[in-house]
Amino acid sequence: MDQLIETLKEQLIDTLNLEEITAADIDENAPLFGAQGLGLDSIDALEIIVLLERNYGIRLKNAAEGKDIFTSVANIANYVAANRTK
Amino acid sequence: MTKSIAITGKGIICAIGSNPDAVLESLCAKHSGITRFTHLESCHSELPVGEVHASDADLKRTLGIDENREISRTSLLGAIALKQAISESGLTPDILDSKRVVLISGTTVGGMDITERHFGSDCGDCSYITSHDCGSNTKEIAELAGLQCRCLTISTACSSALNAITLGARMLLQGEADIVLAGGTEALSKFHLNGFNSLMILDTDRCRPFDATRRGLNLGEGAAYVTLCRADESLGEIQAYIAGYGNRCDAFHQTATSANGEGAYLAMQDAIEMSCISPEQIGYVNAHGTGTPDNDRSESAALRRVFGENMPPVASTKSLTGHTTSASGSIETVISMLAMQNMFTPVGAGWEHEDSDCIKPAIEPISKPLEFILCNSFGFGGNDSSLLLSEKPVCLKSDKIATDVIRTGYCKIREEDELAEVRQYVPAMEARRMNKLLKAATLTSLKALQESGVDKPDAIVIGTQFGMLEQGEKILQHIADRGEDSISPTLFMQSTHNTIAGALAIRLGCHGYNLTFSNGDNTREDTIEEAKRLITEGKANHVLVGIHDYMPEHFCRLYERAGKSVDGQLYSEAIIISSSN
Repeated sequence: MDQLIETLKEQLIDTLNLEEITAADIDENAPLFGAQGLGLDSIDALEIIVLLERNYGIRLKNAAEGKDIFTSVANIANYVAANRTK
Repeated sequence: MTKSIAITGKGIICAIGSNPDAVLESLCAKHSGITRFTHLESCHSELPVGEVHASDADLKRTLGIDENREISRTSLLGAIALKQAISESGLTPDILDSKRVVLISGTTVGGMDITERHFGSDCGDCSYITSHDCGSNTKEIAELAGLQCRCLTISTACSSALNAITLGARMLLQGEADIVLAGGTEALSKFHLNGFNSLMILDTDRCRPFDATRRGLNLGEGAAYVTLCRADESLGEIQAYIAGYGNRCDAFHQTATSANGEGAYLAMQDAIEMSCISPEQIGYVNAHGTGTPDNDRSESAALRRVFGENMPPVASTKSLTGHTTSASGSIETVISMLAMQNMFTPVGAGWEHEDSDCIKPAIEPISKPLEFILCNSFGFGGNDSSLLLSEKPVCLKSDKIATDVIRTGYCKIREEDELAEVRQYVPAMEARRMNKLLKAATLTSLKALQESGVDKPDAIVIGTQFGMLEQGEKILQHIADRGEDSISPTLFMQSTHNTIAGALAIRLGCHGYNLTFSNGDNTREDTIEEAKRLITEGKANHVLVGIHDYMPEHFCRLYERAGKSVDGQLYSEAIIISSSN
């Protein structure tokens, strides 16, 4: 699981162009969205959906589904581990 | 001084008909043209669209042109609708030769269908690429329709065609033209079908604007043009009049809309105020109503602010035609004209469940005389426009304000290494999404404004020949290399030509006029002319003008192979044009 979390952090940095952030800066339990966390927005949520589809073969039906999954990197990792098809 | 602007002809081709009579018949029968596509070459057969029922070869036959000539569907559709408008208004070659005629066309996709057919397997001379940009598209349409006239191209995403009609009316009021043919055209492409799909706003069923269960839009294609002239100089029968218009920016988000529909509200208010009527006199509203959760909620909020308890029949005909994006403004203007001429209120299909956040659309056509009709058209970048049509002449101000126009601020960037400075103005979380052109445009604009001492301009006018080609090239490359899946939504939402104008409006909180020209070699000249026009009309005292272009590597190579030399180097120039009064 730790390995998956680290991989996801790198993939998020790459996909979301988080140019000035390193994997070490991201707390896997901290919120990703909103002012309290990393400050991601709805467009980032769409990018994460594409990321899950491309790398893990997970297809979400609509953007709202991501709301409960994308709360933190750790939560995404749990979801990926349980649902990945590749 | 005042003048009335008349509409003396119309042409239309879309999923529910290939001419005005056929469209009228479909509207009366509430016939939806949204089905599975047969001509678009895409793997997304699960996505219904409003496709024109004709192959490219059929369209070429209609136009009487060589079937072997490679020509974009956008141009073919445009030429068919334009020829109808010319013919209906009785414009003979003699009349067209003796008058100052201007064609104003709105498009965003331009020659994309041809480009994506070849991209990735590029061999030969690549001459197709010279019709890729929007400006070339308009010139091609003029040529196919046998017009030799000045051509202007507006590219403000989904409000392009409505803004084209509005600009036409303004040019007539200012005495810059005698006859204007205005509208827009857009063909379906893999590029924008996949782009909208990446934003997860396409419904796999038929769209249901304003319905509680709505899940998104269906794309459509088509073209429509109208013939405009000053009413007292009209040569043919007058079908309707322009009573008012508004072009505003929501200045909220690149693709999302504000909760209270500020931009939409201001655009409708401007149109109504210009006409000096009260909202109760409006008998029908053809809403933008795309069927996305966001648009319909926001537009409803704006409609409620304008009309309060006295909501006229409102309907979105996009559930019949599909969302024809850049062409939707003129397609729905023609639909509104058909409504006025035939005294009924066209409605959409598929609405069943009331949503308390939305207006309740009219679901059955009502037969009644319609003195005024309001037509809404909104686009990415918060480009919100509204057009008011009238059955009787309405006097519009045609004064020219006597003022000198002066340059109060200026900045130009050509070197990419200057772009790092953008971080002094923009936080990292915003800068991460900006491509080179957007960084350059932001820097030059902010510096020019600083020099002029203007915090917030009254209007933003941008000229870009090729638009956000960095984004475009990446998406095309992705489709060529990896197929139609997993396209980046960030890339697509910033791929429209008006991304720069929208982003600047958001940064500056500018709800004023917002226009983007894409006009080939004349782009710079026409953009500056528009700024001066806004000042002469009294619509603005300070206009932020920008000329921004950048051509990435692969496109440069394609143009070179086509034998056309282009300056691919970054070009970003911002000018503050002010009234000396």
